[in-house]
Amino acid sequence: MSSLILIAPEIGLTLLALGILTAEVFAPRVRTFWIRLAVIGLLAALAHQLIFFVTGAVPGAESLGISPINVKGGWVEYPLVYGMISADSLAAFFKLGLLAAVILILWLSIDYREFKESALGTYAALMLLATVGMMLMVESTDLLLTVLALELLSIASFILVGYAAGRKSSSEGAVKYFLVGTLSTALFLYGTSFYYAYFGTTGIQPLLQLAAGSSGSDLTLMMVLVFLLSGIGFKLAMVPFHMWAPDAYEGAPTPITAFLSVAPKAAAVGFLLRLLGHHDALGITPLLAVIAAVTMTVGNVGALQQTNMKRMLAYSSIAQIGYILVAFVAGGSLGTQAVMLYTFLYLFMNLGVFAVLVTVSNQTHSDEVPTFAGLYQKSMGLSLVMLLFLLSLTGIPPLAGFIGKFTIFAAVLTHPSLLWLAIVAVLNSVISLFYYFRIVQQMFFKEPADPIQPRYSASLVCCLGVTLFITVATGLFPDRILAWVRNVIGS
Amino acid sequence: MNLPFALSSMTFLPLIGAVILLFLKKEDARLHRIVATVFAALTFVLSVALFPQFNAGTADMQFVEQANWIPAFNIHYHLGVDGLSFPLVLLTTFLTLISIIASYGIDKRTREYFFWFLMLETGMLGLFVSLDFFLFYVFWEVTLIPMYFLIGVWGGPKREYAAVKFFLFTLFGSVFMLLSLLAIYFASGSVPGSERTFDLVKLTQLASTGQLQLVGTTGMIIFLGLYVAFAIKIPAFPFHTWLPLAHVEAPTGVSVILAGVMLKMGVYGILRVCYPILPEPTRQFLPWLIGIASINVVYGAFCALAQKDMKRMVAYSSVNHMGYCLLGMAAVMGNPNAAHAGLSGAVLQMVNHGIITASLFLLVGVIYDRAHTRDIDAFGGLAGKIPIFAGIMIVQAMASLGLPGLAGFVSEFLSFLGAFGGSFAGHDYKPWVAFSVLGILITAAFLLKLIRLVLMGEANPKWEGKMPDMTPRELVTVLPLLGLTIFLGLDPGFALRLMDTTLAQLIRIVSGQF
Repeated sequence: MSSLILIAPEIGLTLLALGILTAEVFAPRVRTFWIRLAVIGLLAALAHQLIFFVTGAVPGAESLGISPINVKGGWVEYPLVYGMISADSLAAFFKLGLLAAVILILWLSIDYREFKESALGTYAALMLLATVGMMLMVESTDLLLTVLALELLSIASFILVGYAAGRKSSSEGAVKYFLVGTLSTALFLYGTSFYYAYFGTTGIQPLLQLAAGSSGSDLTLMMVLVFLLSGIGFKLAMVPFHMWAPDAYEGAPTPITAFLSVAPKAAAVGFLLRLLGHHDALGITPLLAVIAAVTMTVGNVGALQQTNMKRMLAYSSIAQIGYILVAFVAGGSLGTQAVMLYTFLYLFMNLGVFAVLVTVSNQTHSDEVPTFAGLYQKSMGLSLVMLLFLLSLTGIPPLAGFIGKFTIFAAVLTHPSLLWLAIVAVLNSVISLFYYFRIVQQMFFKEPADPIQPRYSASLVCCLGVTLFITVATGLFPDRILAWVRNVIGS
Repeated sequence: MNLPFALSSMTFLPLIGAVILLFLKKEDARLHRIVATVFAALTFVLSVALFPQFNAGTADMQFVEQANWIPAFNIHYHLGVDGLSFPLVLLTTFLTLISIIASYGIDKRTREYFFWFLMLETGMLGLFVSLDFFLFYVFWEVTLIPMYFLIGVWGGPKREYAAVKFFLFTLFGSVFMLLSLLAIYFASGSVPGSERTFDLVKLTQLASTGQLQLVGTTGMIIFLGLYVAFAIKIPAFPFHTWLPLAHVEAPTGVSVILAGVMLKMGVYGILRVCYPILPEPTRQFLPWLIGIASINVVYGAFCALAQKDMKRMVAYSSVNHMGYCLLGMAAVMGNPNAAHAGLSGAVLQMVNHGIITASLFLLVGVIYDRAHTRDIDAFGGLAGKIPIFAGIMIVQAMASLGLPGLAGFVSEFLSFLGAFGGSFAGHDYKPWVAFSVLGILITAAFLLKLIRLVLMGEANPKWEGKMPDMTPRELVTVLPLLGLTIFLGLDPGFALRLMDTTLAQLIRIVSGQF
């Protein structure tokens, strides 16, 4: 029982979600209050993770008699919770990012134009449940628990995508997302059953031991892995499991689009890192390399033709996942660092773009690219901030995205045989300039269609401030976060 | 005695100015001009203040600043100048000041214009003073964004296309530079007793003592990655197609910087990185380089000859003149005297081309401001109408075509001299040099054509009374350049002395006699 303290944030957030769901019935009018309450809960969970991350130990664990089994890179390693949950530094790193992301997204939601009528208590509760699902995903060491976590995340997300009730495309996106989401869970579950047949357990330790050894892989195991990868691939929106993304992204309310483009992906990356961190020995590296190359290219080329911001960002996020996969393919210490670093930084810079989009489209009521026309005249500051986010996504120094890409390319170049992948990746960076700069063109080269100024609220300013700070600060002084990432993987 | 943080202050002073501009009211164009001019002038003064302290007798880096930046990758904030970069630093601060004054005519979105202009200056200065390859790359990329906006917002009719094309071309090159710089970084880690490093001084040392051997196919791939990035910037054939477009669309002040400073970033990159750190691949590439140089010279000149638009003509003349630079650089493996002549010529040509082409762009800008056309056939007999303009134009055109006594002659002569005496591994450069001489002839042809059609002949009555002579402000921008053109033509030693020691060392490193 006492080991539950290790997953206190997950338990707390679940209770909060259920509490909000119940209480909303009695007080439906205080709509944004529920979101603020959820933010407070998430901030508490974030603080809990930060304490673990900074002090190296879970607060209160010692006094409950949970003895550490190991100390790795300055962090205490605790025994697994019920043999299924590993509350280690790797999980903590991803949870920090996820919690921060969800907080930012809730801030975006408060003033979102399509939520003026919606029941925000349910919204906040679903968001919290999705968060719990993602947190479990990054710390699960048992595939069955992962399936449950995936389901928790997915079901909450299906509803959230359809949350703009008045708009048909929102429901359409939700149904599409639901159909592929179910398929992906089914694939994952199917893979899990094979896994059980192969190893006689659903725990991931046997696979990790196999990967650490040099005994190699066989066809059955590869099939298992391909199934698991496919299931996760839908969440990552990696090619060829990406088709749902543009429609779901376009249909969903913009804050949920922002959510889909970062949070489930980060959780899936965290899970992949835990399960397949040493994929060299499992024989799927060439497959991953090809997937990475195709994902980047399809994402970037697809984005070129888009005129709707949300569709463009959908393709752009496919491409960005491609870069993360490149780092994943490179593997090893540097590759793992690059995966973590880029996932973390991508989260903030992409949310920054969405924050600007929400701010602007709250006034213009349009998500098409020309919604940004002449933004420089309406607000020089906001257009410069957007410019920084877009430059960061393109990978121009000295911003966060560049540091991320730099680490990725460094990781790839440690393998001379992967030079081709590095070249594909850098060429993709060049392609991405085209569509990111279509927004820049609109902002700075066009005249505004109307003189309406974007309106800022406290929560939007918070969101812009945090994302901008991280994008610029880690770009200029990346050493702190590089050191963290390196310590987490213990090299 | 060293001023503390001299280079940092100089590099980031314009950035401070840029940030201040952002806080000014956007309507007050006069104030924007004053702020921009003051900061550019201060930067110029700071760079000139370094001049008496600069020791031309050593090839070591001077005014060095070093601090840890990203220890995880052993990246340092490392600044310094030597005889190669110092002249370019002076050129940058000088031309930026001139082009800011030349940009007083801009009346649209002045705050942003000068904001980006000062950002650009920080980027360019940072590039020339950084001694850490990572930092160098950061500044290299930083220069792209202001230039993109300067062309894209304040340019001519096709400005948006030109801006994107410029950005894409350069980014295409620089991503390969990124891969190459990482490859060099990892290679430096395999040298016994050395950490992985981006430090250009350390890498030069490792390479010149033979500890860091980047040879064979690997070396060549790394070299080509860097070369593509630099060649696009120069621009060397066949990567030159962005240049005429960008120049024609850019406003006058921006063209001045583009031709005067940014093209030099490419040559500087080759001399700072490829030559000392990859001597072996450089040597293998020299036969190609001489060929590319000749094509640049001759093809650039022919293209210029065919132009009807004066600005396009001057733009293509840049392709031609940067060819002379490459010609001189290719001489590095000849006999030591030829090598020295060639490299001095190349570096001096960078400075001279900066001064001469900047003036030509300014002068074309003067006509364009009055007539709103640059069509070479639309004018005639201007010499009689606006004699001061005509006089300066003729001097600068003569300097550009290499008339002895003016700056262009010295550097072109030295480049040719070097290339003529240069040879490498049985490749005789003489046929290429002979071919390139054709370029000088055609350069003379198109510049004389320009003078004949615009300044001589019958006056076009269309401009009667609409063509006042140069205003004091225009004279302020052009006369200093004119003075320098004549001064460097008469006393080229003034500039050559700055770079002699550094270039002599560079030649020893590349030829492997360190």
